[in-house]
Amino acid sequence: MENAKDTFYITLRNRLAALNPQRVIMLRGVQRPGILLEEAEAPAAQPPGDVFVLRWTSLSTDTQLPATLAQLTCEVHYTTGGTQTNSGLDRGRAMAQMDAELLSILQPASAQKMDYAQGPAAQMETLVFWSAPEFSPLITSRERLTRVAKVNVFAFQEPGEL
Amino acid sequence: MSDLSVRNPNFSPLLMADSLLRAAGGMSVSLLVAPATGDSTDPGQLGVDPPNFQQLALSPAIFRQVRAAMSEGQLPKYELLVSASAIQQQVGALQLTSADALFDSSAGVLVNGAPYLIESRSVSEALGEVYLYRLLLRESHALKQTAD
Repeated sequence: MENAKDTFYITLRNRLAALNPQRVIMLRGVQRPGILLEEAEAPAAQPPGDVFVLRWTSLSTDTQLPATLAQLTCEVHYTTGGTQTNSGLDRGRAMAQMDAELLSILQPASAQKMDYAQGPAAQMETLVFWSAPEFSPLITSRERLTRVAKVNVFAFQEPGEL
Repeated sequence: MSDLSVRNPNFSPLLMADSLLRAAGGMSVSLLVAPATGDSTDPGQLGVDPPNFQQLALSPAIFRQVRAAMSEGQLPKYELLVSASAIQQQVGALQLTSADALFDSSAGVLVNGAPYLIESRSVSEALGEVYLYRLLLRESHALKQTAD
């Protein structure tokens, strides 16, 4: 299942870098596309703005199939306060842009599963595929707008895979 | 009306803070910050590669428990008072623009080898000069030791 999680993140990250190269974050001394895995970074008091934060939540498995099918839920959290140029009054537009970017990078809804724990990354036999995002209502907290999109990610467990 | 009286800033609050921290049993703690050359590889972003945080020594500092945890599952909170001179030294060594940049890039604090997370921070200042940093810390869950 870890390979499915890794593949999902790397796929979205690469698609975001191609779609909007301006959406970046400086993290641990490295400038990266503006998307991160919450569980692979140091905890923060407040999530960073204008980037996508991936949080893995529920897990279920179907063992009645020839290969175990794992279903993992990924919550994509994102928040914005708009731009400094517009004194934050464009936060609605900034949120709409992030909604559109997320929709865009989730298409096509599948990717070849990869094993990134090895160097170089090794291609695996099956695909990782996912559902359309389910967007939560917008949460307004003073100057910040936040939304959570839930995506169900599916992957078959391959022999010997953790 | 503006206050136009002349007040020359000096280092006396800073020196006094250092002296008081040392007199109260000042210790050395380590701030964990990202290495100068970050890991831009895929495994580095997936939690596979160790982050190799640098340990920056901060001294003198005072570490104390804020209050006992009275409910189950609630971790106790701690307070760390750090001399501004120690922070200034590390900001200069890393060529950062401010102490905020240093704390923003930090992943926590090691006190006697035990990890703590920074919940919030505040400063004490005199005549616009910061002489003390107060960090509110939360005990980090014990981390599994890997057998290498």
